[in-house]
Amino acid sequence: MRIRLLSFAAVALVLASGAAAGHHSVPVNFDQSREVTVAGTLTEIKWVNPHSHWRIDVKEPDGAVREYLVEFGAKNTMVRAGFPMDRFMVGDRVEVTGNPGRRDRAVLLREVLHNGERLNPEMRPRASRD
Amino acid sequence: MQSTVARNTLFTIVVACSLLWPVTASPQTPPDLAGNWIRGGGSVVFSPWEFTTDGERRFKTYDFMKDDPGYGCIASSWTRAWMNPNVLVRITQTADHVRLQHEFMDIDRLVPLVDPGIANPRRSAPIKGMPSLGRSAAWYDGDTLVIETVDIAAGWLATMEQWAGLPQSRRMHTMERLRRSGSALTIEVTHFDPSYYRKPFVTTIPYQRTNWELMHYGCAPEEAAVVAPRRNR
Repeated sequence: MRIRLLSFAAVALVLASGAAAGHHSVPVNFDQSREVTVAGTLTEIKWVNPHSHWRIDVKEPDGAVREYLVEFGAKNTMVRAGFPMDRFMVGDRVEVTGNPGRRDRAVLLREVLHNGERLNPEMRPRASRD
Repeated sequence: MQSTVARNTLFTIVVACSLLWPVTASPQTPPDLAGNWIRGGGSVVFSPWEFTTDGERRFKTYDFMKDDPGYGCIASSWTRAWMNPNVLVRITQTADHVRLQHEFMDIDRLVPLVDPGIANPRRSAPIKGMPSLGRSAAWYDGDTLVIETVDIAAGWLATMEQWAGLPQSRRMHTMERLRRSGSALTIEVTHFDPSYYRKPFVTTIPYQRTNWELMHYGCAPEEAAVVAPRRNR
């Protein structure tokens, strides 16, 4: 089953700083040797510290709808990176690409496709304001 | 003759006074570390460590799904607080203390400056709800701020990346050394824990000067502990 995941620039941001999730052990939690893509509907959006997350409902090939947890960077990190958090609303369709979790249906976000726009994965957390 | 005697007497008095008068060195100018710093400018580096038998046993018990104190919005160690990605620390220096405001978990650390020669100096108050952060005292060593921390509760020194699960016993104590070079601030944390490690090891954490202001971290355990999707959905 091909799982498509939505990845975030925030994850790229986190990766750029050396750790994808603020207080998690990324290599332990996520399989960084693989990448998956998942498309689904946002049911929960949490911009928080130490790590933001979404819940998305994904309709799988067997017809069942299952929840996936999409994890990415700390809210403060994303604010400083200028990530457009206010674009996303519950009910939006998103396509997420990232590393799959080693347990359950979790994804570490690397890139997101939303309303036809793919966020720039090269965004970096800035050390200072412009 | 009399002037010679007087001159010699005066000379003797001057020499005696210079020998008896305490030599007072000019006060050392502390390094300027004040301002806002952001985690960045390089990677975190751990020097090699060597577990004791107990240390290795404890390391293997770490369960990333439930043991990370971060799920309860608790910093597991000062090393952990410093190494968190993309967080700020604001440093304020006064004559008798150094204040370090960590954005991570909104930790406010007020450390008294002490004479390093005193065996039991006054120390900072415990950080509320975070016994693994112990109590600290600080002094300057040339261009370096040194912070010594004792009374560290047992737990986990590190919970991130390949270092997740490094344990710390009740015998852990640490020395943080903060040294500035231009717009770079380097934090070196030396860990001493004979219960779990056969020798001290050092974590090096780089920071950069920043004009960002501290932001409220506002960790909530019910959100921090989210690690998996809900069942039956």
